[in-house]
Parts: sequence; structure tokens; C-alpha cells
Amino acid sequence: MTGSRYEHENARIDFSRSLSFSFDGRSYRGYEGDTLASALLANGVRMMARSFKYGRPRGIVGAGAEEPNALVQVERGAVTIPNLKATQVELYDGLRAFRTSGSPSLSFDLKSFVGPFTRFMPAGFYYKTFHVPWMWRAIEPVIRKAAGYGEAPRDPDPDIYDHVHHHVDVLVVGGGAAGLLAATIAARAGLHVMLLDEQKELGGWLRSAPSTTIGGLPARTWIDARTSELDGLAQVTVLRRTSAYALHDMGLVEAVEQRQDHVAPDGRDATAPRQRLHRIRADRIVLATGAIERPLVFGNNDLPGILTAAAITTYLNRYGVLVGQNILLQTNNDGVYDGAIDLARAGARLTIADARSEIDPGRKSRAEASGIDVRTGHVIAHAFGWRAVKGAKLIRIGADGAVLPDGGDVVVCDAIGSSGGLSPTVHLYCHDGGRPQWDENRLAFVVPEAGRAAAGIYCAGAVTGAFALGEALTQTAKVANEAVVASGKSRVTLDFDLATDELAHAPARRIFRLPDGEAEGHGKKAFVDFQNDVTAADIHLAVRENYRSIEHIKRYTALGFGTDQGKLSNVNGFAIAADALGKSIPEVGTTTYRPAYSPVTFGTLAGAHADATFEPKRYTAMHPSHVARGALFEPVGQWLRPWYFPKDGEDLDAAVRRECLAARNSVAMMDASTLGKIDLKGKDVREFLNRVYANAWTQLAPGKCRYGLMLDENGMVMDDGVTACIADDHFLMTTTTGGAARVMTWLEKWHQTEWPDLDVFMTSVTDHWATASVVGPKSRAVLEKVCPDVDLSPSAFKFMDWREGTVAGVPARVFRISFSGELAFEVNVDAGYGRHVWEALMEAGRAFDITPYGTETMHVLRAEKGFIIVGQDTDGSMTPLDLDMAWAVSMKKPGSFIGKRSFARSDTARTDRKQLVGLLTDDPDVVLQEGAQIIESWPAALPVPMLGHVTSSYWSATLGRSIAMAVVKDGIARRKPDGVAAGRDIVYAWAGGKAHKVKIVSPVFVDPEGARQNV
Amino acid sequence: MSDTATKPRLETPLAHLGLAARAEKPDTARGVWANEAIPLSVTVLRGLATDAAFLAPATEALGVELPTAPCTRVSRDGRTVLWISPDEWMIVADREQGSDLRARLAKALAGQRHQIVDNSGGFTLLRLQGRNARDVLAHVTVFDLDRLRGDRVVGTTIGKATAHIFAEPGGYGLIVRRSYAEYIWAFIERAARPYGFGVAPSGGPPVAPAPVT
Repeated sequence: MTGSRYEHENARIDFSRSLSFSFDGRSYRGYEGDTLASALLANGVRMMARSFKYGRPRGIVGAGAEEPNALVQVERGAVTIPNLKATQVELYDGLRAFRTSGSPSLSFDLKSFVGPFTRFMPAGFYYKTFHVPWMWRAIEPVIRKAAGYGEAPRDPDPDIYDHVHHHVDVLVVGGGAAGLLAATIAARAGLHVMLLDEQKELGGWLRSAPSTTIGGLPARTWIDARTSELDGLAQVTVLRRTSAYALHDMGLVEAVEQRQDHVAPDGRDATAPRQRLHRIRADRIVLATGAIERPLVFGNNDLPGILTAAAITTYLNRYGVLVGQNILLQTNNDGVYDGAIDLARAGARLTIADARSEIDPGRKSRAEASGIDVRTGHVIAHAFGWRAVKGAKLIRIGADGAVLPDGGDVVVCDAIGSSGGLSPTVHLYCHDGGRPQWDENRLAFVVPEAGRAAAGIYCAGAVTGAFALGEALTQTAKVANEAVVASGKSRVTLDFDLATDELAHAPARRIFRLPDGEAEGHGKKAFVDFQNDVTAADIHLAVRENYRSIEHIKRYTALGFGTDQGKLSNVNGFAIAADALGKSIPEVGTTTYRPAYSPVTFGTLAGAHADATFEPKRYTAMHPSHVARGALFEPVGQWLRPWYFPKDGEDLDAAVRRECLAARNSVAMMDASTLGKIDLKGKDVREFLNRVYANAWTQLAPGKCRYGLMLDENGMVMDDGVTACIADDHFLMTTTTGGAARVMTWLEKWHQTEWPDLDVFMTSVTDHWATASVVGPKSRAVLEKVCPDVDLSPSAFKFMDWREGTVAGVPARVFRISFSGELAFEVNVDAGYGRHVWEALMEAGRAFDITPYGTETMHVLRAEKGFIIVGQDTDGSMTPLDLDMAWAVSMKKPGSFIGKRSFARSDTARTDRKQLVGLLTDDPDVVLQEGAQIIESWPAALPVPMLGHVTSSYWSATLGRSIAMAVVKDGIARRKPDGVAAGRDIVYAWAGGKAHKVKIVSPVFVDPEGARQNV
Repeated sequence: MSDTATKPRLETPLAHLGLAARAEKPDTARGVWANEAIPLSVTVLRGLATDAAFLAPATEALGVELPTAPCTRVSRDGRTVLWISPDEWMIVADREQGSDLRARLAKALAGQRHQIVDNSGGFTLLRLQGRNARDVLAHVTVFDLDRLRGDRVVGTTIGKATAHIFAEPGGYGLIVRRSYAEYIWAFIERAARPYGFGVAPSGGPPVAPAPVT
């Protein structure tokens, strides 16, 4: 028996509540309060994984977020989660966990047979194979199959997730002794406090050290006192099972709360989130994130049963699990002794190998009084065993690190704990640019005690290197009060004592890699990073191959990657690299700490931005009418617009042919509500329009409309639309659907920053007006039925006029404008009446078989007339002249307009730019591919010079043939008589290996005289 | 002329969701109660807060002073004026009051620098009530709700859309754009699920804020 239960009152385990669970297909029992890791250790399970590269047996190393090996897949099916650390999985009845490595089984792993050949898989193995292309191609599939751990779920996630935003005065991260004290001080000062802790209960390391006392109170009593006070205060929020994984600028901390992971899947509340993302904006942040013990690096230090000493202590004191009966602790510091005494008291036989030649006699005698065999000046040369550790070979080292010839011994044991000292959890401090500092006395990268108070970040406890409890509490009280005073509150004087009963800490020995008397690479493998199978020899090799920066060494060896992000390995890796480089540790520095501190699920990051609420969908007032008529929709920006209205099983082409012919021959109707609409008012509104549009607005009379091109500073077309004069000082501008917000921002920017003197206000009315575009020869007849108070006759209501009147009993603005070239009326009403008016128009048009149409037919109708769509026929590099739209530019109007000056640039002014033209294919049945390249001739030798590309291409039912629009170099001249005479109008459109002969023509294919819209 | 043409039907943006049929008398069994208000009039008024020739006649015509303190509102006699920006206010009132109100403003402000825009069709008012109304808002908006009390109003985001939010006795009012209303409703309903969600009867225009205690 290697692991066993040791029931005691301080264990956070309910021994009356037994739970069943399974791992890798075998059933076990644990207790309420266990983690999967503690329960497996109690069941004597040693091997839980195979290593990434060498397939070596691996077991649990840590007790929390630092765990590198014990990655498990929890549950099956849609709720399955890969690569959870067994140390962080709370046990529930019926939990099923599975191995994520080991193939075909844990006990028989094919990769482990590679072991003897590992000299062929050195550090940077992948990179080395890149040098020989055939080698990478041959090896990649093998590596891909072998690599990785768990499996992502294949089914949609049945769980829900949400986000919550908080605003607090003080956020305390970490609920150990320092965090509890800091939160108490801030709360007593009257501040709004939030305290986060990743465990299910507060206390942190104090839970692992129950015999400690603070102010004479046992640790547990002290925790209870602090916790009940905080839980009882209205201005304090305590979040348990909540891991702060990112710290951003401006005091924003993101934390994930595991709300239901500890509940069996069938017992979870389906209406409540499984995990919740907290976004906490705090005026001040106290980082009390503690420290994680790092192991020492020695031969075969990866054998199952070799843990950190702190983890062995935690499993005993927190979980009531004795990891082994014969335990060897290897240390270079005082930190392991208290835990060792607890282990001895629980009945284990303890040996401590202390790398220091001398230790505090009081500490030594206290240990020996507990029956512990303390061997100073000893280190583990290597451990032995395979699927479980069976013992270790000790050697003696001198003060200079040299291996001494005498002494040394073999210790038979079933568990080894090693401690190389503590590594402060500096991650959050570093996320927004902070850097930790190497403290040579404490042998740790620490954060400055002063934190970064100017940025509102304070650091308390072990994270600053205050590893002794008493020192940590004193330092925390000081820092927490600094945060209190900075928050404008009075310093808090505590009514409880912070004195502890610790022995004074003696200095640690500076050692990371334990010597084994052999040159690096020749002894047993000594692992630095377990998850990535990085050995001390790998780091030496990387340095020999001339990697000098720790960031490069990290990437070459994979040190510090993976789900544990090097929490155990980094400092050892930095120190070994420093040694190999002959530099000091501060000179080598650290790699960069980036969010996330520990893995976060995609579901949590997405929160409610999923499924139906993934992205806003904007609907027009007529949307239910379109749904009722069977429309298919397409997204245009965030809008959902009818795409086409299929009838009787029609496909897109058939429906669009029918809709187009209805518009050309009778009457059809489109929902144009999505166009951007901006109401402009003020005595300078005409001047404003003159500046933002390329054409002139001074003379446009009330009741009239005009088309305008809006240019950017470079003279390129950025938007277009029709603007109506409502009154002398009042205009209504329309924009493209997708450009509405951009144009509004653009207008406001110019007005606010450049022309604040202009008396003009602009307000978006896009959502206020619902617009039905009634199109076709019979549109007037339809309007006449529902619009009794407007004279619709051609002489009274001309093309590009607008009138105010009543449509279907509703006040309306009717515009005689056309995006189809047909007689057309756009009816605008208060959107609250939009659906009513749409239905009234459909009813009025029934006699003419009025046909609703969508965006696809709109595109064809406009292309038949050569009307551009900004963003489709333009791409931000087209001037009005490129579009052959000089008529929409007034170079003569007084003053300037945005983009005007750019027309004088030589590149803008040259005449052979890409220009918009129409294309007719030689074969009228061929509909060109949009994006097809225009080339001069075909066949031709590659590479072929490109003249331009097809921007729009459709089948025209009206013409009974295909049409296309394109931008072509010097295109306008090519279609003029000289160009045609020279044969320059004949080019080829190439796509997908095929070229079609095309003729460059005017883009106006239907009714070039404009007769149809002027009736 | 057809029947539909003679009896115009006015629909709020969420009319098609049939909320009226789902409405119940709010109780304490569920934590969040929401609905969309009846059709209201929304008028956007632009002018310079520093311009006395604008401010005085506007106040006179409205019968309610325009709030000039940022992010505040004034509600009186069924009319609510929300501060939107230093030169913009939103006036929310009964639907029937709208045209008269705009006409009076136009008359009073003739010749002054200003803009009056009927945006009644462009917005709707959603309400969140119940003991968890604040919790639900904390899920969907980043704004510090401790600062949204009394006469405060804030333009902020809800999910990926925008809204103007203000406190009302018993909960909150959210003025949202018509085209985004369904998204925002769905986003709120989703956030409210863990607390129990009910549809309350429709209300009218914003009511006066509760005094801050």
C-alpha cells in the first residue's frame, strides 16, 4: 500500500460521505472534499499519465494549478472536458475521469520504447527536421498523432456561461493568510471589497499548515474568524472557486468562477451557468497570490510518487491522505520541516535529505524528536523505480557543490517530496508589463513589496518574497493600510494579534540541479519541465547550440509551455540556463508572463455571445411580413435583409429572374429600410453638404433630391446615396446600409473637429423611417390606390422629387427615386407603421401581381443600369472619375470639398487608372465569376499582366444574356470609338484556369437614355 | 381603398414577439420581470446648452427644463428629458403628445440654432424590474450600476449594442434602437434565465426617479 487515508480533524474532508468514481475504467472510492488527485493518491494510484515525448510513466506532482502531469479527461460525450488537472477537479459521486496520454494503454505505452533512441530526439527536434523537407513530411504525421493530450468534445456544448461586471474599491486576489488579512483591513476601512480565491474554501497554505498559530489562535480558528467576518459584511463579496487569470491596464481583472463543475452533470442546473467570467474593475488591486514550491532537479525526478514536498504536506493536512509510508524529503530550505513532522505524526517513516551542511539545531532536534532521520549535506543523485518510485541514491556534497566520495546511501521509499524553495506567483503582476526581480537572498523572482501603487497595484504576502507567515502578515497589514489610505479612508488598527509561533527561517542553499557526479547529459534524465519532457541536458544543449536569450531557449526546448505554463519548471530552467550561459539569473531574466494564468474554456470567454445572441441581428419593421412570404435572408452588415422570395420550389436564379421581370414589366417592391438615414438641420447645412459631398448642394430646392458621392481625403469614393432637401435649412441624407455608422461618425468628426462654426446638427433617423421601394411601370398605379393626397402625375411629381403626404392612412414622405432605372417610389413612414404600410401596398398591388424582391434582384436591376455598389464595384481606391461619374463632381462650386485636392495628385490625375466598365461575354450564356482577372489576351505565357477584375456579374433576364461590371486599366478609353477601332475593347476574363473573351462596353446595359424612369 | 389602409396599425419593435399575451402580474417567485413599453413618442432635440436663446424657449415650450448636468434626466407630467450629450436631449412622452410637443418646440425655437427630430419609430423603451434586475444588468452592461441611481442616465453598451439606461423605482428603463431591440431582449432574457424571468404588463413613459437614499 503506497497511499492511504489518515483521518484527522483538520482535514477538509467529510469522511462520512463516501463517493464512487472511476479513472481510466477502474472504479474507486473517495470522500466529499477530495480532489480527483487526492482520491487517487488515497487509493494508491501512482501512474496517471505517460510523458509527452518519451512515454515515461508519470504521476501527480503538485496539488493545484502547478500540476504538470495528471491531465485527465473528465466525463464523456458533450460535457467532456479535456486536460483538466486532477489536482483541480473536485470529486463528485459518479465522476468519470480518463487518461489523456498513454497509447494503447497507460501500462503499455509505445512511446516508452523509443526511450533508448532518445538521443535522436534532442531539444529542438522538430526544428531540426525542418532542415530536411522529406524528414519533416515523414515525421509530422507521427508527431501529430503522438502529441497532444485530451480530446476536444465533438458535440455542441450543452452548458451555458455568462459574464458579470463588477466595480469595487479594492480587489484582493488570493484568499490565503495575506489575502484574508488584506480584505479584512480594506473592509473594516469601509471600502467595497471583493476577494477571490481559486479553492472552494478560503485559507490557502494555512489549510496545509494547521498546527500554525496566529495571535495564539490555531490556523483553522483564525481562518474561520476572518471568513465569517468577511462573509457577513455587506460591502464585501467573496468569490470562491474563482481563479483570476488576467490582469489588464486600468485595474481590470478577469476571473473565472467554476459554479457547477463540482456537481455531477446530471445534477447541474441547466438554467444556470457552469462557469462565470467576472470582469472586475477595481480602483486598487491587492495581489496576495502566494507562492508555489518548486521541485529540485535530479535524475529520474519524474517517477510517479515524486511530488513537491508542499504537495505531500497538503495531501496530508488538507485532504487526509498519506501519500506514502516511507517518505524521503529532499530540501535545500527550512520549509519542509513542519510538514515532515505532521507526516511523521501521521505514521510515515521520514527521511530528510537536506542539501545544506548545517541547519538550525533547534529545527533539527525538533524533527529528530519526531523520529525523522535528518541527513544534512545530502542530495538525491537519482531516484529509481519505473511505474512508481522505489527509492533513491543519496550522495554527499560539499559546500562548493562537489560530490564527496564518502557517505551516500540508498534510501528505500515509496514517495519522495522535493523542495527547491518557493516561487512567488508573480503572473498577474506581470500581465500588464510588470517585471519580477530576482532576490538572491530568497532565491526567488519576487514582485517589489511596493507593488505599483501608482497603477493601483499592491502586493501582499509570499508573492513579495515574505515567505515566513509572520513576516507576510506584517507586510500585508502595512500594504493593505497603504491601499486604504490611498482610497481616502483612515488607517485600520487591528484588534487582533498577528504574532506567529514559527521558528526563525535560516537561509536556503542555492541549488537547483542536484549533482550526480556525472557530466550533464550522461546521468539519469533529470527533468526540468515534466509536461514538455524538457531535461536539464536539453537546456544545456540549447545553449551549446548558441541560443542565448531565455525566450529563445524556451521556444527551442518547449520549457514552460503547456497547461501549467511552467509554474514548477521556469525558475529551475532559468537558473540552469544561467549556469550554462555563465550568467547571473537576473541577467538571464524571465520569459514573459501572459494571460491566462490557467486555462479558460472557450465557452466562458464567449459567455452569452453565443448561439442566437452571438452577434446582433438587426431587423426592419417589415421583417415579419417577409418571413410570412417565405423570404430567405442574407446578412448585410448586422442587418438581416430579404435575399429573395422563392415561390414553389424556385432556386435563387429562378426567383431572381421572376422578380427582375416583375420590376421591369409590372411592379415589384423591396424593403429599403436598412439604408442609413441622417437628418441634417441648420442654416449652414448646404455649406456642410458642399464640403462632404463631391457635388453641389447650394441650389437644390425644397421638394427635390440629388444623388451624391462622398469621398475620403484621398479623393476615393467612400459612400453614396440620395439626399433630399426638406426645407432650405433641412436635408435628409441616405447612406449605404453598411456605411451608415461610418458616415455618421465621419460627418460628426468633421463638424466637431474642423468646422464647429457651421450651424448644422445631424441626427441618425435610420431606425425611425421604414422604407418600401415600389418599383416598375405599374408603381404609380399602386401608389394611387393608397396615397390620395399627393398628385402623382408625371408632370406634378417628377423624377428626383419628393412629396409629403399620406400613404395607407399614415403620414409619409414619398421619394421618386430609382435604383433600378424604372419608375419607382420610395415610401417612408414612421417604422411603427412600417409593416402596416407594407401590407397595404402589397394589397394595393395585388391587381398587378406586385412581387416582393430581395437584395439579389436589387443587385441585378442596378447592374443592368450600371449603378455602382460602394464596396463591391469600388474598393477604397476608386475616384469618381475612375467610375466615369464626373457628372457627380463639381469642381466649380465655391469652397472646397473633402477629397478635391487629391484629384491633383499625379497618380489620381493620370488617365490610365483602373476604371469601371461594362463587360459583355462573347458567349451570352456565360456568367463570369466575380473576381475574375481581366487580361489582354489568351492563351498567354505566364505570368500574365493583370488589367483589372470583374466586380459584378449576373444573368440579366431583361436582356436574356449575361452582363458584368469590371474595373480595367484605361477601361474608358478602350470602349470609346478609338479604342474599339484599335481592338482594345476585346479582352479576356480569367478565373479558375479558364478565360472567356469579353467586350468592354458602357456599364449601362438597359435603357441608356433613362426613358423608363422618366415616365 | 382597402381596410388596412383606413386603420393604421402601430407596432412597437417587439410587437411580433407577442409579449402582451405572455404578460403576468409580477410576483416574487421570479427575480426579473421585463417588458416593452407601449408606443411612445421620442423626440431628439439638439441645441447648445450654452446658448440661452435656445435653452430658455425650449424649456418654456416643453414645460420641463432641459437637464444640463451630464447623464441626468428630468421627468415631469409624463414627459422625460434625457441628457444625451452637451448638445443633445431625448424627450420621451406619450405617443399622442409627440407632434404637439414638436410643434411647440419648433415654434418657440424658430430662428434659433437647433434641430428637432421625430425619432418615435426609431426607439423603444424596455423595462427591467424585480429583485434581480440589477444582477441581470450587471451581466449585460459594463457600466457601474452603483452610479446609476436617482436621476442618472447613461448611454452604454448592452452586449454588442447600445442603450440609454436609467433607474426607475423598482428597476431600470432601457431606451434602445428599434433594429437592435430583439437582440437586446434576447440577450437580457438569456442573462435573466438563472434568476427566473417573467414578462410584466406593458408600461407607459418613464416615471420620475426615486430619491437617492
